[in-house]
Amino acid sequence: MIDGLLILLFFQFLGEVLIRLTGIPLPASVVGMVLLLLALLLNAPFSQRVAPAAGALIKHISLLIFPLGVGIVLQWHRYEDYALALGVAVVLGTLLSLVLVTLMLKKLLGGKHGESAGGSHDR
Amino acid sequence: MIDKLDNLAGLVHTPLFGILLTLASYRFALWVYGRSNSLPLFHPFLVASIPVIIVLPLVGVDYEEYRDQTTLISFLLGPATVALAWPLYRQLHTVRSVLTPILIATVLGAFISAAIAVGLAWWLGAPAEVVGSLAPKSITTPIAVEVVQSTGGYVSLAAGAVAITGIVGALAAGPIFRLLKVTDHRIKGFALGLVAHAIGTARAFEYGEKAGAFAGLALGLCGLVTAMALPWLWPWVAQYL
Repeated sequence: MIDGLLILLFFQFLGEVLIRLTGIPLPASVVGMVLLLLALLLNAPFSQRVAPAAGALIKHISLLIFPLGVGIVLQWHRYEDYALALGVAVVLGTLLSLVLVTLMLKKLLGGKHGESAGGSHDR
Repeated sequence: MIDKLDNLAGLVHTPLFGILLTLASYRFALWVYGRSNSLPLFHPFLVASIPVIIVLPLVGVDYEEYRDQTTLISFLLGPATVALAWPLYRQLHTVRSVLTPILIATVLGAFISAAIAVGLAWWLGAPAEVVGSLAPKSITTPIAVEVVQSTGGYVSLAAGAVAITGIVGALAAGPIFRLLKVTDHRIKGFALGLVAHAIGTARAFEYGEKAGAFAGLALGLCGLVTAMALPWLWPWVAQYL
């Protein structure tokens, strides 16, 4: 757990360092995520030890997020004038995206049903 | 005596109170979610918000103060975002054979989701900050709340839009897949993860392990692609808003 947390914070820190050096307009944690992914793919030592901490944080991500979300209700005066635009964009937009993305996937993946024939079970 | 009561009332203005309230609300929400058999409508994000929204005005703590009290919790969003590399790494292995179409689908899908949300909100007259808050609505929340800072949006609005997107997507997926006659579990999973991020991924696991793995992969890749592209593209989009 501690090893995992150490790895996560270290890569976030690396991301921060990279951003300050290069000035790229990306969030430090996203850069940290890319760096950690590279480290994992390259089999960097210790990188697999990230699992317990990563699993715990991801499992309870709602806990980390919802305190930000309550601001919608508590500061509703900021948003009420655009309630219609918000509702339509979020609800209708999601339905529309889901239909379009599904159709696109059918085109892209549909031809290769079942992937490599002899492919064993993936997991 | 009055002094002591005042002293006691002051407790609500400490981080201890904010964090206790947050954790207790979340625990309650987990219980409700379990009781509902993981119905998307009872997602912990929504249910956990309710006690906080009721209690804060009652004890006279405003939203800004609550955010200050809970900085310890929101700080963990950073490492949690970095942590997304782990499931992404695990799932990259499982889909090697279809990696190229998957990557193309991710880029196109991320673009479609963002463009539709931005386009609709702009068309209905929402101001630039509101439109900017919706641009990352299909990506996983920890990344969305980071990215929204580069589009000049509101963090709260982005977090809420992401959650509602996930819930709507998870609820609508069944009927939409039937309507479009989708039988391939890889497509179901990938579409759910791409459009409805973590909540969609939870839904995808109900179709099976393969759908879930594809959803998890889509969630990670879509978040990554959007986070990489949006901060560069946004200044160009913003001049038309």
